[in-house]
Amino acid sequence: MSASILVPGSRKGADSMQAAAVKGRSLWDDARRRLLRNKMAVTGMVVLAILVVLAVVGPYLAPYAYDAVNKNDVWMGPGQNGHLLGTDSLGRDQLARLLMGLRVSLAIGLVATVVSLIIGVAWGAVAGFVGGRVDEAMMRFVDVLYSLPFIFFVILLMVTFGSNIILIFVAIGAVEWLTMSRIVRGQTLTLKHKEFVEAARAMGLGRGAIIARHIVPNLLGPVVVYVTLTIPAVILAESFLSFLGLGVQPPMASLGTLIANGAQDMELAPWLLVFPSLVMVVTLMSFNFIGDGLRDAIDPKDR
Amino acid sequence: MLLRTLLILALAAFVCACQGKVSRPACPEGKVCVHLGNVNDPVSLDPHKSTGTWEHRLLLDNLIGLTQDDAEGKPIPGVAERWETSPDGLTWTWYLREAYWSDGVPVTADDFVFSFRRILLPDTASPYASLLYFLKGAQAVSEGKAPKESLGVRALGPRVLEVKLEHPAPYFPELAKHQTMYPVPKHMVEKHGEAWAAPERYVSNGPFRVVSWKLGDHVKLVKNPRFWDAAKVCVDEVYYYPTNDTISAERQVKRGELDLNADIQSNRISFLRQDMPGYVQTHTYLGVAYLAFNNTVPAFRDRRVRQALSMAIDRDFIANKLLRGGQKPAFTFVPPGVAGYSGAKAPEWASWPFEKRQAEARRLLAQAGYGPDKPLKIEIKHRNSADPMLVMPAIQADWKQIGVDARLLQNEGQIAYAAYRARDFQVADAAWVADYNDAMSFLYLMQSATGEQNYGDYKNPRYDELLKQADNEPDAATRARYLAEAERIVLEDAAVAPTYFYVNKNLVSPKISGWKANLVDYHPTRYLCLKGHPKAALAAAG
Repeated sequence: MSASILVPGSRKGADSMQAAAVKGRSLWDDARRRLLRNKMAVTGMVVLAILVVLAVVGPYLAPYAYDAVNKNDVWMGPGQNGHLLGTDSLGRDQLARLLMGLRVSLAIGLVATVVSLIIGVAWGAVAGFVGGRVDEAMMRFVDVLYSLPFIFFVILLMVTFGSNIILIFVAIGAVEWLTMSRIVRGQTLTLKHKEFVEAARAMGLGRGAIIARHIVPNLLGPVVVYVTLTIPAVILAESFLSFLGLGVQPPMASLGTLIANGAQDMELAPWLLVFPSLVMVVTLMSFNFIGDGLRDAIDPKDR
Repeated sequence: MLLRTLLILALAAFVCACQGKVSRPACPEGKVCVHLGNVNDPVSLDPHKSTGTWEHRLLLDNLIGLTQDDAEGKPIPGVAERWETSPDGLTWTWYLREAYWSDGVPVTADDFVFSFRRILLPDTASPYASLLYFLKGAQAVSEGKAPKESLGVRALGPRVLEVKLEHPAPYFPELAKHQTMYPVPKHMVEKHGEAWAAPERYVSNGPFRVVSWKLGDHVKLVKNPRFWDAAKVCVDEVYYYPTNDTISAERQVKRGELDLNADIQSNRISFLRQDMPGYVQTHTYLGVAYLAFNNTVPAFRDRRVRQALSMAIDRDFIANKLLRGGQKPAFTFVPPGVAGYSGAKAPEWASWPFEKRQAEARRLLAQAGYGPDKPLKIEIKHRNSADPMLVMPAIQADWKQIGVDARLLQNEGQIAYAAYRARDFQVADAAWVADYNDAMSFLYLMQSATGEQNYGDYKNPRYDELLKQADNEPDAATRARYLAEAERIVLEDAAVAPTYFYVNKNLVSPKISGWKANLVDYHPTRYLCLKGHPKAALAAAG
């Protein structure tokens, strides 16, 4: 992230601009340095990078298709007949299903978070910047949605519109934006009285332009932190829905459906529960470490 | 974030708790209460409105017809003490015992006349009406072409019932214990209409009576002191639970929260025999699992499509490797072991190697206009009980191999069947269990007169004609030949795709006495008791 996003007028931005000539350190340079010093966060990033690569290319490299029924290999233990992580009751290779499940879960996490990011940032920034009655109305709307139990709201959507994977993306994202909008609104309230916003207004810039050019770029820090924490929450939510049978539909797999199926036969085929659970835990922990690391790095006061 | 995670985990724990540790109603001091897992919730407690085995289990405890089940599922005298048949087999005279409804009103021959007319009347819209078409004039009454009085059933006295038949039906005593032939309390139905079957006013003539029904939770029955054999009944309160989640039910049985569950996930049977010795009860069962193709869907009007889909199902894998609970691969519709019937010839492809069948299926699909550029896309609607959840993904994978893109839609059993009856499906995962031990009990399903339960709306005049000939044929061997020919036509036509023949699987706590595995899988609670209870022997003897 380069410093040029930071608008002249903010004290730190101005300092860094002046210092640029003598090759100083920007806020983002500082943040990056602090992040890289955080061992947990770096471990999280490395592990996550490996997981992402596995999820993206893994299904192409796996010796079996995730939905191929191997009729002679029902309930093979790990390592038997060339199935590294065993097979399920239909003889489907668990390694292939796990890679596919990881891909689906990560994709849902990412897409739903982007949906929540777009709605949340737009909603919060407008509410905070416009203020007054508009702010009141918009935030009360958020309060109302907040008061609906999250999972039941998603279940209701699923039951009404039928469950398909796109709807899961949208449904989770459409609920997850609430917290985002509150964070963004709070941040906007403190920003909108800053001098550079006053200056922009004095120069005759319209509201929309000010929000887009001056408010949103300066919100980035807390938003990035929150995003890294939203992704695992979304993955968990999707897994929970899948566990209840409302998530992705067979033969597609997600970490949640794999764990749900594994839990059914845990006495008979423990490997069907153990491996997906492990992958899930590792994924969630990586995200959370990265999120915590980013928060520490971007907010210098918090150290 | 942490809070949110904790909340979700807490919610998950809460939901698991709902399925897992359950609080059971306290049993009054000195009484015997049994908790039975019944797979689904009933749609109705009215015997004329319900069709499922799970509803039958409940009704068995409430209502008793002319005959009833013994502990082994064989017909023994019920409300009728004895009966006589005319030499031509067309007139049956039933002599009723002194019996009372649970509100004290006597059970009379009039109740039976009223009930047989009621289930047939078009206004009742019973999905099961056509099962009674062997009664004289029944079809005309059911189709609204004749007044209900024209039905060949009349009361010769308060306790003598005369029934005239269209054709000889040696299976009548067996059918007489089926829910379609149960009496309903005339005085209540005339007063309350359909609402007579509401749990708060339910009136029964059997060993128990429904007193409450909490949807999704349980149906509660208490002993009916006015039942003629009440002194022999050991159990005082019966609770039926909709145990949709078979594995959760299995754990409840293990923990003693349920006394039995009427289903086991098949591929766990051998494990459970070791893990819970003495609990697993399996028995051959006159039942078949099949897929019905909806003929109102254009793709399935093409016989080649239905044949291709049926051919491409690997039944050996499903029965022997996936379920491995004793089920047999089904290439015909009528299960082996049905009385007086040696079965139809399976289609020629049944003996082919699987690869050859797949190749032929692809060829048939191509002929019908489907191929890689225009794949056949269909939906399979299925029940979410244990075995369909295992089998349907296997069929989906089999069909993918011949280039068919199938989507799975799962529903609770009673909801799935309601959708099938409304023709709201493309491919339906269904199962049929004999109502009486005869091939006709299976084959009548594809008859055009059957209506709602002919899910796929299969219509074939030649088939209808053969069944009619069979009905009117006095010679058993010739009748069986007609039936076998009819079955061959249905298989040739691939009106349905039979997948496997059932076994019945119950998980029964060893502390329950009087429970006997049997061919029809009916186990009236009146025979059950707790082991060692003074009444156990009396109850089991019935």
